[in-house]
Amino acid sequence: MKNCLKRASAAFLTGTMVVMLAACGEKLDPGENLARNEEEEGKTVVLYVPMERSKPDAENIARTAFDKTVIMAEEKLDLRVEYNTYTSENYQEKSYDDVGFDRIQNHLDDLYLLNPDVLHKTGEEGLLEDLSGLDCVRNLRDVVKMANTVDGKLLGIPQEVVVYGLFVNKDMFDEYDLELPNTPDEFLECCRVFKENGIETPVGANRWWLETFVFAQAYADLYNEGDIEAEIEALNSGERKYSEYMRPGFEYLKEMMDLGYIDAETAYTYEAIDGEGPDFMAQKTPIVMAYWGAANADTAYGKPEFNLRVIGFPSERGQMPVLSMTGLSVCSNAENKEDALDVLEIMVSDEALRVYAETNKVISPSKNVEVDCIPALRPLNDLVNEGTYVLASNAGMKVEQWGNTCLIVRKLMEGASVDECMAEFDRLQEESLN
Amino acid sequence: MRRRTVQIVPFLLIFCILGAVVYSVAKKISTEMSLSAINNLDASLDLIGNTIETILGKEAEFQVLIAQEMADSKNPEDFVLSYERNSTMVRISMIPAGETEGISNTGEVFSEEELDFSAGKTVAGLPLSSSYINDMGTWAYTMKCPIIREEEEIGMLYIEYIYDSFDEALPNDFYDSEATLYLMDAASQKFVMKPKGIGERNAGHLNLTDFYNANKIREEDIKETVGEHINSGKDMMFYHNIQNQESLIYMWSVNEGVVYLIGYVPVKAIQREGDAVNQNMLIVVAVMLAAFVGCCLFYLFYERQQRKIQKDREAERELHNKQLKEALQTAQIANNSKTTFLSNMSHDIRTPMNAILGFATLLAKDVDDPEKVREYTRKITASGQHLLSLINDVLDISKIESGKVALTIGEFALKDMISSIDAIIRPAAKAKRQNFDIAVTGIKHEHLIGDETRINQILINLLSNAVKYTQEGGNIWLRIIGLDQHSNQFERIRFEVEDNGYGMTPEFLETIFDAFTRAENSTTNKVQGTGLGMAITKNIVELMGGMIEVFSMVEMGSLFTVDLELRIPETEGDEKFWEQKGISRILVVDDEPDLCETVRLLMEDTGVHVDASHSGEEALHMRTCEDAKDYDVVLMDWRMPGMNGIETARRMKETCAKDVPMLLMTAHDWEELEEEALEAGISGFLAKPFFVAAFKEKILEIMGERGLESPHLTQLSEGSFGGKHFLVAEDNEINAEIIEELLDIEEATCEIVENGELAVERFFGREPGTYDAVLMDIQMPVMNGYEAARAIRALDRQDAKLIPIIAMTANAFSEDVKEAMDAGMDAHIAKPVNMELLKQTLSLYFAMKERK
Repeated sequence: MKNCLKRASAAFLTGTMVVMLAACGEKLDPGENLARNEEEEGKTVVLYVPMERSKPDAENIARTAFDKTVIMAEEKLDLRVEYNTYTSENYQEKSYDDVGFDRIQNHLDDLYLLNPDVLHKTGEEGLLEDLSGLDCVRNLRDVVKMANTVDGKLLGIPQEVVVYGLFVNKDMFDEYDLELPNTPDEFLECCRVFKENGIETPVGANRWWLETFVFAQAYADLYNEGDIEAEIEALNSGERKYSEYMRPGFEYLKEMMDLGYIDAETAYTYEAIDGEGPDFMAQKTPIVMAYWGAANADTAYGKPEFNLRVIGFPSERGQMPVLSMTGLSVCSNAENKEDALDVLEIMVSDEALRVYAETNKVISPSKNVEVDCIPALRPLNDLVNEGTYVLASNAGMKVEQWGNTCLIVRKLMEGASVDECMAEFDRLQEESLN
Repeated sequence: MRRRTVQIVPFLLIFCILGAVVYSVAKKISTEMSLSAINNLDASLDLIGNTIETILGKEAEFQVLIAQEMADSKNPEDFVLSYERNSTMVRISMIPAGETEGISNTGEVFSEEELDFSAGKTVAGLPLSSSYINDMGTWAYTMKCPIIREEEEIGMLYIEYIYDSFDEALPNDFYDSEATLYLMDAASQKFVMKPKGIGERNAGHLNLTDFYNANKIREEDIKETVGEHINSGKDMMFYHNIQNQESLIYMWSVNEGVVYLIGYVPVKAIQREGDAVNQNMLIVVAVMLAAFVGCCLFYLFYERQQRKIQKDREAERELHNKQLKEALQTAQIANNSKTTFLSNMSHDIRTPMNAILGFATLLAKDVDDPEKVREYTRKITASGQHLLSLINDVLDISKIESGKVALTIGEFALKDMISSIDAIIRPAAKAKRQNFDIAVTGIKHEHLIGDETRINQILINLLSNAVKYTQEGGNIWLRIIGLDQHSNQFERIRFEVEDNGYGMTPEFLETIFDAFTRAENSTTNKVQGTGLGMAITKNIVELMGGMIEVFSMVEMGSLFTVDLELRIPETEGDEKFWEQKGISRILVVDDEPDLCETVRLLMEDTGVHVDASHSGEEALHMRTCEDAKDYDVVLMDWRMPGMNGIETARRMKETCAKDVPMLLMTAHDWEELEEEALEAGISGFLAKPFFVAAFKEKILEIMGERGLESPHLTQLSEGSFGGKHFLVAEDNEINAEIIEELLDIEEATCEIVENGELAVERFFGREPGTYDAVLMDIQMPVMNGYEAARAIRALDRQDAKLIPIIAMTANAFSEDVKEAMDAGMDAHIAKPVNMELLKQTLSLYFAMKERK
């Protein structure tokens, strides 16, 4: 007891001394300059992305994963990455891609997160830096490099291979004794049964992703048994026509719209997931299309109250996942180009891609990074691992695919005929040849 | 307790007042600092707003100047086309008066339809469009200004400005980046700009609705008020919880509501100074409080220590007093006891002494009457014996109490011990016509290790008392009971001594084991003794690690129990003996199952199978009389209900041709039955209780294989010393004379020497075989008895090793006996010399000598 008292007294006296010393320690010299002159600002890299930086505990995991890799670069390079953001409020406004294109042309930012169409368009104009000299490139899968190469230059590096698939409510399929469809005909049959059973719109769609149906049917043969290089060369030289490839998919979409399996008018006004998502989650719509990450995100299709399955799009070769890539690119005329390249080197390094893939549970563009996926995604994952997929964007094709097809599908949604749509492809191909 | 509570109340009051003061001061500081912080925020926002206003104003002024310049130029369109954009004004356009389309500096056709001036906002009088994303992909606004030449409007000048130009005017880290700040176009309510490092997705970065949603501002009245303020171009600031933090939300009008500064800051971020002051104040208060509490604790601790010390001292003093008192009482009691004891002893010693002296006088007087002489000498001897026992007891207890008693541990046989006890007690009991029964049950080992003499002493003490305090014709029981063993190496034995005598009062039972007490004052009681017997007994029992208990009721009798734990010798049992004698099965016939069980238990280790029969009839039935299956020995109780042992033996003899040894077991005198038993075919007598050793001895005897007869005291006592010649070492002349006379009575001769050295010399000087034994006193001048014995044994003569040397000494304790044995002597006889005992002892050694 006495010892305790002694110790307590000693601790108390020490504490008091510390407080007193601390209080007396901050005495200032009378002549000291108290004004804070602005110090030289640190290095900054400006990044154009759709969203602001999120807090570490933010709900959207996709953004969190992206931010983690940004923070990794900031810490390693001792610089700050400034986010410039733009999100269109509705379809009448300029899209993210439109604004991105304008900003690259005016080289307002250093680093861009670009969709394939913008990447292709700006790449062709020589506005993007060739990234093939980065160390991280050697870790990338060949398909990733192929999809982001324009005129022999690697212009974008994605942090994930975005796989699009059909998100289906297996419980509803089971309710009507339906097998999951593999071919276009089987898919139509499923839609017919749903429709006859009172489900007004069996396929929930938006104005962005309907072209995935087209790609699955258009390029199933090309990417799975064809001579890819030769066929792309034939398309680029005009020997073969894109419309030949696209027609079956467009006719198929047209048929579904005509049969009322897709409500084109409504879909035209829907933003991705925000529009069709609520009906799917409420089990009013049995089928929607979305990207892989939507199955992991609570804000998308992460917590369904039914048996969710993600399968490939129907094609004559069976189910077909559609791959797309949103790559990070560096503006050729960027003010901080070298810093931006350094940042990119870290953001797509194996270390960062592992963090990204583990956080988001997605397929990594690095051949060295593999992570488990949730059970709902296994059918899609298996197909990708087997090498069964089509690319929705291929920078090697002179006619940009993802954006153009999207726009042409929108025309179909607005009521254009398939022939008119094919004519648009022919026009685009003609323009590319000139 | 009450006093302490009263003491605490003022302290508590002081604490409460202090707490209230500190709280109110802290609250006041906090409020004032909050107000100050809000004022600071207000001033900061005003400053930022003013800066933006100034930029907008300057832009408008500059645009007016350009318009003037264009008005002055010959061709305004050329002016437009010649303009190269800079980082603020990214596009200028002109629409000539009266036309709907004009031209931009890029050469493109320009129309006002692309712009929205419908909100009616102006800067320095110039109309301002709603914000929009321009062809650079960044937020922009356009102001229009008429081009007036000679008071005639010749066209309209449109200049597009981008918000990025405000970047330098805005703070980089607003409240250390904890605050958010956006620039909102009031007309479209879109967020058109954010300072670097301030944006955050969760803050809502698109427009006012997004801001409301992200920050969970759902109160319609707030939204309505905000709407009203924005429409009227007023500032607004309000508290709201944002992401679990109390925050201040601000919407600051710039240029009369053309643009708004919108954002929020957590309250704690602007109250940092106030918090710091409060924290420091709290630290000071806490330190003071801790010091105060520390002082209080120290004071309480000190006071408590003092009180404890005082209490301890008082307790110590009390204890000391109590001990003194007790010591005094004990001393008084001891003194009283000893006084009583001395008084008793005085009486007790004087009584036999009186008898001795009285009879000695009578002896002198009646020396011619041999009959009377014998009578007087017998009485003198009895009185002397009694006096001796009194002296022995007194010496024994004094030795025990001074802690000088040591146990002499050795192996002994229960049989022998019980025989010797029986030999002593039975005659005494018989003299008072008392029945004395010995029963042994549950004993597994009859050879044990312990101090046989002391155990004997205990039992003889208890049994003597039983005899002494039991009326004539009463009963005395000695039971030896084997208890459950705690360990294989120890036998737990309970000795029970019970009588149905006078019994004791409960008061006396409390002091029975105390020294110097006696049931009643011996001067008024016919029973005599020192009263030390029970104290000695208890002390010995405890010395052996045992326990003694007593139960007694007046006129009902007493029961003493002594529990002892005695080690079992490592080698016991002799299976080969029974094999050699061809004994593998025996039949025990006894109506007491306990006895049968005892026989079985004791014979367990011998390999001999024991069958029991509880009546003569059953025993007859059990004997098959066939060679192979018949028993090898039959043990028969004498007294049994129905057919007794002798009768049973007779019947067996008649029915079975085989001559199986039959032994009669009885606690009664064998001699009375001997003739009848032998006639009936009984081979011999076996005293109860049953012991294997005795049984073996009897078997040997019956089978005629006994080598030399075991020395038996009763037989030996009949021996004679006639013609024997002794060497006696004795320094005391009287004692020497007595022993000489006693030996003379026994027709033996002796030579007396005065000390040990002379004894050695005398022995050495004589021919071997001159002396039959040496009787050696111990305490002698020149050389004591021990040394002399050692010297004789060390002599290089054959007879020196063999001659019996008997210690005869007043050193009568067991340690003395041990020392005598260690010195090479053969036996020890305490003085005064009991001639019978001397005869028995010497006879034993003479017999042995003869055998050798």
